[in-house]
Amino acid sequence: MTTTDASRPVKKRGSYLPRYVIAVIVSIMIVSPILIAVLGGFKESAELLNSPFTLPKVWILDNYQYVLTLDSFWRQLLNSTIVMVGTVTLSTISASMAAFVFARMRFKGRDTLFNFFMIGLLFPLMVAILPLYILMRQMGLLNSLIGVILVEAAFQLSQMILIMRGFFRSLPKELEDATYIDGGNAFTFFTRVLLPLSAPALAANAALAMVFSWNQLFLPLLVINDEVLYPLPLGTMQFFGQYTSVWSRLMAFIVIAALPAVVFYLLAERYIIAGLTGGAVKG
Amino acid sequence: MRKQALFVVSMLVIVGLLLTACGGAAPTEDPSAALQAQVAELQAQLEAAQEDADTSDLEAQISELQDQLAAAEEAAAAEPEEEVEPVVVSWWHITSEPGPHQEAWKKMADDYMAANPNVVIEITILENEAFKSKLPTVMQAGDPPDLFQSWGGGTLVEYAKAGLLKDITADMAVDGWGDSFGAGALGVYAYDGKQYGVPWDMGAVGFWYNKALFAQAGIDAPPATWGELLEDVQIFKDAGITPIILGEGEKWPGMHMWSYLAVREGGKEAFDAAYLRTGGSFADAPFVKAGEDLQDLIALDPFQEGYLGMGHDDSEAIMGDGGGAMMLMGQWAPAVMATTSTSGGLGDDLGFFTFPAVEGGAGGAYDVLGGGNGIAVGINAEPEAIDFLRYLTSLENQKVLAELGVAIPVVIGAEEALTDPNMIMVSEAVAQADYYQLYYDQFLPPATSEVVNDATQALYAGTMTPEEVAQAIEDAYAEEIGE
Amino acid sequence: MQSTFQLEKKANGTKRLRGQPSTIILFLLPAAILFLTFVIFPIIQGAYISLYKWNGLGPLENFVGFDNFATMFEHEPFHQALIHNLVIIVLSIGLQLPIALGLALLVGRKLPGRTFFRTLFFLPYVISEAISAILWSFIFNPRFAASEIINAVLDTILPFFDPGPWLGDPQKVLSAIFIVLTWKYFGLHMILYIAGLQGIPTEIEEAASIDGANQWQTLRFVTIPMLSRTIYTTIYLSVLGSLQQFDLVWLMTEGGPVGASEVLTTYMYRHGFVSFKLGYGAGVAVVLFSICLVFSLIYQYLFMREDYAGAVE
Repeated sequence: MTTTDASRPVKKRGSYLPRYVIAVIVSIMIVSPILIAVLGGFKESAELLNSPFTLPKVWILDNYQYVLTLDSFWRQLLNSTIVMVGTVTLSTISASMAAFVFARMRFKGRDTLFNFFMIGLLFPLMVAILPLYILMRQMGLLNSLIGVILVEAAFQLSQMILIMRGFFRSLPKELEDATYIDGGNAFTFFTRVLLPLSAPALAANAALAMVFSWNQLFLPLLVINDEVLYPLPLGTMQFFGQYTSVWSRLMAFIVIAALPAVVFYLLAERYIIAGLTGGAVKG
Repeated sequence: MRKQALFVVSMLVIVGLLLTACGGAAPTEDPSAALQAQVAELQAQLEAAQEDADTSDLEAQISELQDQLAAAEEAAAAEPEEEVEPVVVSWWHITSEPGPHQEAWKKMADDYMAANPNVVIEITILENEAFKSKLPTVMQAGDPPDLFQSWGGGTLVEYAKAGLLKDITADMAVDGWGDSFGAGALGVYAYDGKQYGVPWDMGAVGFWYNKALFAQAGIDAPPATWGELLEDVQIFKDAGITPIILGEGEKWPGMHMWSYLAVREGGKEAFDAAYLRTGGSFADAPFVKAGEDLQDLIALDPFQEGYLGMGHDDSEAIMGDGGGAMMLMGQWAPAVMATTSTSGGLGDDLGFFTFPAVEGGAGGAYDVLGGGNGIAVGINAEPEAIDFLRYLTSLENQKVLAELGVAIPVVIGAEEALTDPNMIMVSEAVAQADYYQLYYDQFLPPATSEVVNDATQALYAGTMTPEEVAQAIEDAYAEEIGE
Repeated sequence: MQSTFQLEKKANGTKRLRGQPSTIILFLLPAAILFLTFVIFPIIQGAYISLYKWNGLGPLENFVGFDNFATMFEHEPFHQALIHNLVIIVLSIGLQLPIALGLALLVGRKLPGRTFFRTLFFLPYVISEAISAILWSFIFNPRFAASEIINAVLDTILPFFDPGPWLGDPQKVLSAIFIVLTWKYFGLHMILYIAGLQGIPTEIEEAASIDGANQWQTLRFVTIPMLSRTIYTTIYLSVLGSLQQFDLVWLMTEGGPVGASEVLTTYMYRHGFVSFKLGYGAGVAVVLFSICLVFSLIYQYLFMREDYAGAVE
């Protein structure tokens, strides 16, 4: 079958239909678990258990209302936000500084040192949890959000340095020369030129770190004792333990608990995707 | 290459130095420290002055400063309205479902704090699984809570051996605290003659059954022997009723079935011989026979669909909603059924019978496999923590739990407050026991327990034979005690 | 991450500034402190602990050399966990990635409304593991209608399907886990493919079809080879991700029933933490880390050589 230029648009338009069919089927498979939860929050528990896929017979607001009026929920939301902002700030600053060195400076042992920093990609936080715990206790970081922030930021470094280094390298060298001719130093170049130009990459990095931080479960579980300091995923587990039988309320809780991340994703989608792909995806 | 290495090393050194500097340079702005120093200095002057002349001036200065010091310490540490520096008692419990039990705990703590304004009780409520993840970490870091949920047995022994628990033997003797507990219950929280915690609940594993479904199937009395139980299972199967509900996803529920059969087959003698290594082993005939008895049951396919991966809460919910005829479970079953099921539990249809006798077994029909809940005392606990624990397990508070039906009380006399006939039956079973065996997975050391749970689950899944199960447990235990 | 390769390409040959040692140290300091303290130090500590028999309580005294590793390599459940990891990796590469690639081709470049679908497909990636686990535990729970309905549908579509519990059946539990992993992570790979596809000029594919290649041939001989770098990256991420997965598996099944969904991380947690064998658990962590490291080095050497900038991508 030969496709000529003339027939191509016609053929293309015709071929959209099967594509849509597949795309819609996949969408249904992806979304239905989420829909079960969203709709489940509006149902009585019994209805949720017996007919999970249907619309509620009567839309009940009690469950969502219950969760939204929980002090603990708002507190957990606040804690998660504090941890997220702290993690993102700390990791973005320190990673971009390090990435600057790896991208724009030459010195002996640079690649070795860079590789050393990449070790962080090779294992999950879980495998070092006990030594970490002992260390944090010695440093007096237990039961504090600061401790969680420090560790989460440290575990984000490898990925961030990698992404930022790539981005910094892509900026033309002439920028640098211009700064130095104007009498600037590395520091002025970094703060006045490099960082402002890297805003999209920084945003992308930050967005990825936000998702990472927002979803952490086991680190806060082991490190934080005080319920007042629980972040959301921990609160979710606690709520799950408390309301194992009241599934519709549980669904309402997880929907609302997931909502900030989802809303955030929808708002920052461009940046998250850019972070994952280095800005290669366009609309 | 060497230069590179040098560079990296020097980086490491710098960072190391900085870290130590950071660690060291954390001065706490404590006004009382300065005052203390001043007092000490004046006292030294006083001593020097006393030797020759008039000291009243200096003494006045000292007393004034000491007043200031006390005031500063109060201001630094205490709530404004409190007069002395409070003692903080941390208490972790796992009654995570909101309800009367959780409220009762809270009220006890509040009442105690009201009576003892110098004590602050910090309650941390953890969901069971979260607790099990978290406690080992804080223990391994040498950082135990003052008071925490414990089931006694092997895990408690590990902690005690590591010096993480407080020996409260002497406290038990004061005011007859130790004598207030029923016989045997305290032993679960003791090791090597020392007491490390106290129970607040002590029950028995047994069969909870649905009277309505028994009637529907035409069975008028609960089975008294294992053979009868197997026959009843078949009757239920024929009637289209799920005979037994089991949440084997968490392993310990099915382990109880095997353990109880081992208790019936071997009795106290077989277990002690294996555990104390006095000529026995966990690979001995009674333990193999227990597996074979269990296989007879499994062969009838008596459990609900998906039982192998089902959690405990889900299984209780099914039982509570009338989805099956029997469930082997501890004294908490009615309470859990009530909170997890959509119907709120079986109500009067719920009955209890003790584990059936096994024909030809060395164990008696009155031997009980059970256990309960207690509170262990962490090594850093202040006397106030122990005093609070004494209050928690007072007769009056034990009666509160008994009335709520959330515990089989351990303090003598509190059982009178039990109202639920099933709970009274459980309580009687415990009282009548000739041989009371703590759950194997609590009694044995942690790594062996894990194997007991894994191996018995494999029996249900049909991936191990009774001999292999017994041998696996024996191997794990032998390794653990260093044979 | 994939972009780094592209960006590095552009940057090749650019002369870098020779930095002052003081500047270098100053700029590296914050990252170095964080990294050494909270990442490297605990790893070294862990490796050290792995040479001891230690229940986590009391002092490290009982030095056993490599005994923990010897025990591990003979322990049947460890082999099982390793095999389950391999199965997940093979399934990911054999199923999850092709699905992601297919969907990327489907909605990638020209389909009107593609951003909508892209957003939707990526959504599960931002939902936390804790929430995903609760959601899917509900769906797979045999007590509720959801799993019954799904089983009924699958039974109609697939003639050889065995309806029954998902998480309670040792034969099926790994598939259930894999379904959840695919649901959660395929969007990530799809996004990477879409990015890669956008880097391929359409002219080349058009030229191929003018030369008489059919769609399949164009895909097979033009598009996929041009995507090879992205494909290598996704395989790499997929393997590391599968090896490091813990939260979802632990929350859904704890590695059960009968160890049928045990993976290295859950094995480590069970035999390290739950059983109070910290030395042994640390040994498993060392093995897990080594597997990741060795895989990285070999994989980079074989497939990502042209992009080889660091020891790992």
